[in-house]
Amino acid sequence: MFDWLRSVILSITMVPPEPHPPEGSAASVRIFRAGRNYYRLRILGWAFGSLWSAIVLGAAGMALEMAASRRFPPWGQSLWHTIAAIGLILFLASVVWAFVQQQLNYELRWYIVTDRSLRVRHGIISTHELTTTFANIQEIRVSAGPLQKLLGLADLEIQSAGGGGGGGPHSSSSAHVARFSGLDNANEIRDYVVNCLRQYRDSGLGEADHSPSPEASSALAAAHTVLEEARGLRAALGKS
Amino acid sequence: MTPQPIHNQIPPEIAAITRPKDELMKWYFCKALATTFAFPITILLLYFRFHTMRYKFDTEGIHMGWGIIVRHEVMLNYSRIQDIHLHSNVFERWLGLARIEIQTAAGSSGSEMTLEGLPDPEGMRNFLYSRMRGAHDKHATPATDPLAGVLTEIASELRAIRQAVEQRGSQG
Repeated sequence: MFDWLRSVILSITMVPPEPHPPEGSAASVRIFRAGRNYYRLRILGWAFGSLWSAIVLGAAGMALEMAASRRFPPWGQSLWHTIAAIGLILFLASVVWAFVQQQLNYELRWYIVTDRSLRVRHGIISTHELTTTFANIQEIRVSAGPLQKLLGLADLEIQSAGGGGGGGPHSSSSAHVARFSGLDNANEIRDYVVNCLRQYRDSGLGEADHSPSPEASSALAAAHTVLEEARGLRAALGKS
Repeated sequence: MTPQPIHNQIPPEIAAITRPKDELMKWYFCKALATTFAFPITILLLYFRFHTMRYKFDTEGIHMGWGIIVRHEVMLNYSRIQDIHLHSNVFERWLGLARIEIQTAAGSSGSEMTLEGLPDPEGMRNFLYSRMRGAHDKHATPATDPLAGVLTEIASELRAIRQAVEQRGSQG
């Protein structure tokens, strides 16, 4: 049943297939997914949200029903019952849709890391795919709330340079943050990314602190040859 | 004229892009409808935005321009790109569209450039990624380093002058 519903939703919404890994050595491509407990956490949120909405709407409906039975004329009562029935159907449909959305949101979430770059893709109705290179990374952050800790989950945030975003530089809404949500192996991924970053010691903005690159070394060697030739020329001019 | 290295050349299908697809105007119409009462003003603004939007992709970066009353011209160097976002909502996907939002290290809250209505958004994203800093293998040494090449040539010239001077000295 769910497979059928999923295929219908995916074909209607034309969600693109699994993202391709960004350029990098094929052996280095690693695809991470959110932990199973992330799905459970989302379902828990859905259940509480739906229950709370049902209580509020149910209380409002009962209050209106009592008022309608006392004060509304017969045609007004039938109108109210029709509206209430439509409202109930819409509410149940939204609850079912929210449930399906939790499942799809969990399934359609990819975190791809290569030795040079990373790509994060998520979303159903609105899909979002972020790509950045390790050369642009400024900061790596692992964070977990109390409930996430209880479920063994954590979020990994990889930030590139630049400000903006409504919630400040560490906000998950910032456009410069690649957020790996709901990981059950966040520390492992962080270590992997840090290991990849070691080859990009000049990553982000700021002064590089490493030895000259091979290109710079070859230019330096050529410059030394020029210097030696210039000295030799001066010596030859001094003799003649 | 010195031929450009292969990695600096722009694929012809990308160099040929100068205007957004016509489907973008359909998407703009949907966007304007969503503004309800402001529809007449929004559609007018989006209409002019669509008809004045121009793209140019050269070896240095992206040039984008739009607007009549207030003309915007933005140039963004490929090497300054920090993140590339590929966005699409369900309506855009129905129209075969997607937005590419490009972030640099500038501190603005929005994206520095949003490319809309491109024929192959994913292909364009991959092209931009290939031009980003750090997208290529850091350990792969280039076949020729231009600076080292010039310095080697200078050294050869100096050597030739020294030899000529030494020869003249021995003859004199």
